[in-house]
Amino acid sequence: MIKGLLTTLREMFQQPVTIQYPEVKRPVRTRFKGRHVLKRYENGLEKCIGCSLCAAACPADAIFVESAENTDEERYSPGERYASTYEINMLRCIFCGFCEDACPTEAIVLGDNYELSFTDRHQSIYTKDMLLEPVPPGGKPTPQNTEPGKYTRSVPVMQDPQD
Amino acid sequence: MTKLVTLTIDDQPVSVPAGTLVVDAAKQIGNDIPVFCYHPKMEPVGMCRMCLVEIGRPMVDRGTGEVLLDENGKPRIQFGPKLETACTTPVSEGMVVRTQTKVVADARREVLEFILTSHPLDCPICDKGGECPLQNLTMGFGPGQSRFLYDDKIHLAKHVPLGELIYLDRERCIQCARCVRFQDVIADDPVIGFYNRGRRLEIVTYSEPGFDSIFSGNTTDICPVGALTTADFRFGARPWELKSSASICTHCPVGCNLTFNTRREARAGGNPVIKRVMPRQNEQVNEIWICDKGRFAYHYTESPQRLTQPLVRRGDGFEEISWEEAYQLAAQKIRASQNLLTLTGGRLSNEDLFNLRELTLARNGQAVLYSDMAGGDLTASYGLAPGSNFGSMGKETAILVVASDLHEEAPVWWLRIKAAAQRGARLIVLNPRSTRLDKFATHTLRYAYGEESQALATFLPGAAVPEAYQAAVQEFHSAENAVIVYGSEGAGLAASQGLAQTAAAILAARGKVGQVNNGLLAVWQRANDQGAWDAGFRPVEDLPAALRNVEVALIAAADPAGDDPLLAQALEETGFVIVQELFMTETARRADLVLPVQAFTEREGTLTSGERRVQRFYPALPPRPQTRPDFAVAAGIGKALGLDLEGRAASLVFLRLVKTLPAYAGLTYTQLAEVTPQYPIIGRSDLYYGGTAYDNHQGLGVQLPLLPAARPVAVGQSQTAASVTAGEGEILLVPVTRLYDRGNTVLPSALLHQRLAGKTIRLHPQTAAAFGLNAGETLRLSRDGWSAEAQVELDEEVPLKMALAVRSTGIPCSALSAVRLERLTVASAD
Amino acid sequence: MNALRAQYPEEVERILAKYPAERKRSAVMPLLYLAQRAEGYIRAQDLRDIAEICEISITDVASIVGFYTLYYDQPLGRYHIQVCTDLPCALRGAEDFLRQLSEKLGIGVGETTPDGLFHLEEVKCIGACHRAPVFQVQGDGEIVFHENQTVETALAVIEALREQARAAKGEQA
Repeated sequence: MIKGLLTTLREMFQQPVTIQYPEVKRPVRTRFKGRHVLKRYENGLEKCIGCSLCAAACPADAIFVESAENTDEERYSPGERYASTYEINMLRCIFCGFCEDACPTEAIVLGDNYELSFTDRHQSIYTKDMLLEPVPPGGKPTPQNTEPGKYTRSVPVMQDPQD
Repeated sequence: MTKLVTLTIDDQPVSVPAGTLVVDAAKQIGNDIPVFCYHPKMEPVGMCRMCLVEIGRPMVDRGTGEVLLDENGKPRIQFGPKLETACTTPVSEGMVVRTQTKVVADARREVLEFILTSHPLDCPICDKGGECPLQNLTMGFGPGQSRFLYDDKIHLAKHVPLGELIYLDRERCIQCARCVRFQDVIADDPVIGFYNRGRRLEIVTYSEPGFDSIFSGNTTDICPVGALTTADFRFGARPWELKSSASICTHCPVGCNLTFNTRREARAGGNPVIKRVMPRQNEQVNEIWICDKGRFAYHYTESPQRLTQPLVRRGDGFEEISWEEAYQLAAQKIRASQNLLTLTGGRLSNEDLFNLRELTLARNGQAVLYSDMAGGDLTASYGLAPGSNFGSMGKETAILVVASDLHEEAPVWWLRIKAAAQRGARLIVLNPRSTRLDKFATHTLRYAYGEESQALATFLPGAAVPEAYQAAVQEFHSAENAVIVYGSEGAGLAASQGLAQTAAAILAARGKVGQVNNGLLAVWQRANDQGAWDAGFRPVEDLPAALRNVEVALIAAADPAGDDPLLAQALEETGFVIVQELFMTETARRADLVLPVQAFTEREGTLTSGERRVQRFYPALPPRPQTRPDFAVAAGIGKALGLDLEGRAASLVFLRLVKTLPAYAGLTYTQLAEVTPQYPIIGRSDLYYGGTAYDNHQGLGVQLPLLPAARPVAVGQSQTAASVTAGEGEILLVPVTRLYDRGNTVLPSALLHQRLAGKTIRLHPQTAAAFGLNAGETLRLSRDGWSAEAQVELDEEVPLKMALAVRSTGIPCSALSAVRLERLTVASAD
Repeated sequence: MNALRAQYPEEVERILAKYPAERKRSAVMPLLYLAQRAEGYIRAQDLRDIAEICEISITDVASIVGFYTLYYDQPLGRYHIQVCTDLPCALRGAEDFLRQLSEKLGIGVGETTPDGLFHLEEVKCIGACHRAPVFQVQGDGEIVFHENQTVETALAVIEALREQARAAKGEQA
């Protein structure tokens, strides 16, 4: 019993583990899989090329993509193809991260946001403008008017993944 | 029968006809030898080297010619020092082929590594990705890593429009020349070619418009990479997302088998939409090809202008009503009337036509087919016998094509008759002007417009044969089998009636009616005209008068008012007009009751092709709310009249149809859906072999047996038909058919607009000069009650004092007729 | 109207006469040479004319132009300076020769001098390996070989041609 009381006594002087959520938020782990983010390049062009491989990889059939063709006057992403519609149904998503793995341009990334709540099933469908990250400083929003012949490749040359 | 040759492929014996290529022999026993450049429908070229295999042949004693045997008494096999291409090597007796050895695997890996040296990393955005032979074969046989450097890849233009229909991606091309060979050999349109050589090789077109061929879409099917893509499907969807449903093309009487690829889309509110139209293999109908009209002119079915609600006339406008009210109104008008006329277009299915017929007959009405062509009763009795197939016709068959520009009227028949002629079939072409078929004809004969029956009559036994026709007539009579194909070039109803009668008489005199590869074939203007004839619908000579004199006209899938101002006027005088339509056509605008129907993509049914093959089509899309299939509409009106008509499902209507119509006796939907094995084997997992055309699982259709002729064909009567002559200031207007016309089902496909026939009149330069006209000027044509303006086009082939007008372009031309021609000054044309 | 036929009526007939009437397409290559004679390259109009004469498609004619390296589809210099750089020649310094020549002329290989006179090309064996560096000048309807060359002698040849062209132009003016 003394042993038990000693433990209680010791714990009384420990830092409490309770966090004052939502005022205080705990940082997530490095490989945490939260809500998806669609990435952009530094110049603001979208990384997503609308290839639908994420939708094909998705075991929960949560992703829906429709694509269209870029022109130099109205360019969303490098190369010829971009996603004209991109929707993820967060109620269906199981946050497995297969979409990340399937993505040839590292456009879709499971982010840190775990605060998903809806009052309606329709709200669970995240559209492309909700998923796209903000335009980075120095970049321009899409669609951009770009010089002809500059962005001809859809898939960038990438290093083997580190980490 | 050709000699059978037995060979062994991977220890499995197979017997195939002599001359078969090793790759095809292997295919028959399920051994897929990978290929890129080889295509079973074309001659081999051996360009890609993907099909390399080890081939051994029995050793032969040179002195005695005997096969050397080993100690076990088996033939000794000698393998060559190098691999051989399975696609160019014909089989030989005792041949031994190994396709799974290490040498072969190494060769395949190295060929792929080489092909991929400069292939871009495009698979994620490539339209072919997912159904790509190069992708699949690389996964199957290719190297995991390339010894070539990524930086050494050559980057070329990616977005090269070859025309407005087909786009080229230069980087992706692996130079197999399938497209170039297809256009050259199969389509006879050598409008694409290779330019430059080696790494810089590219596909070019110098035609105007670019890639000017009506078969261009097929090159995208047989392209083994994503180098050729259609403008229609470019980045439209990924192949694995697509659902497929079988259908039949409704643009011409060939009845090409199609597969619609559909997918759910945001623009349709989450409903499926058609993403592309693909050919479906039917070796007896379209093989694996379709024309570009079938491929690209489906957009009318998804047009936002489609009718969506029954409409009733209220004063000058229309008011929406419910279906029940509409049926009651129609029934009330029909009941109160003494005479009913049902006018149907050949776009309807057999079930629609049957119900409309039952409705009409029950009210003692007149069942009229909207067509300028006659002879459907004759094709039912003297038509192509069951089992006939253009693909099996060779030198023992004579094919006589009269009054038809097949290339424009029925492209796939043109393709197959041309192929038959190249195999040796004796092709005789009778036409007043040159057509694309002349090049392949054994004999090309000319006659003057209006004299088609007389020209054809020279083929009757015992007829007087003019000098120019003698060789052709002799050739025709010496052939074992004979097929006569007649169209409606320059011919109206009376003329085509004469033509069909003469043709039937010729065939009857030969005494081979009912035998395979013999018979009469009509190049109908619409897909199911033959079905309409079988159901008892007949065209009438004086349609305006017929319309004017009835109290109720029920018009389905036809737009007489849009085609001819005289018919539009007549409709104004008709008592009550009910129109079943997809669109607010000129006819619908003049109707009292407009009933919105479903397009063929949204429903089920059967169509009868020109060859009298009954084929099923299946729904690809959900129907639009408040639309109904034509047969259900007819049944609805019938029920309101107290008639016993079936309207619940097409299959139930068909059950009644087979009991009533003798031509269809005993037929079932199940029979129509039966499939027998077809060669070459196409569309399975090995897309590299035959391309992306679909395998047929949904039915090859059934060719109807010939009906006994009601009475012997009357010969010679038609030849007395009064000949039309042009008076002073007049010319003879000759109706001809063009593939890309301006019909209601073509116009909504914006993609084809550049290629549509213009509202033009083609004149001989001398005729034009006599009227003081130059090319490009506007003229006015007029004849009792109507006038139309058109542009002038000059063509030295048009006979003097005649003018060619294209049907369905807004110039009324149902038969050869004299019209007044006036020159319009430029100012008044504006 | 067929411009090529109008320009060279006799030549076209002579070429066509060599081939059977039903095999007119055989005349494509000589006709292409004929078309190339005037301007030094084949124009789009020439393609159309030849297609009409031979009764084949324009694309067929164009792909022949594309396949053979001696048909040009764009205006190049009046004189083609063709330097051989195959292995034996390279061993005798042809590569260096070509590089220096290109520097001296101020144009890259495959380019044309701004005055439109000289087009520098790298070619395969021209059959004088033992006397490399070697080049041939093709132009004005003839081919002249120049063997055992140095950059200086080559430039002298080029200057002479340039002088000649200038003089001819002066005469015309």
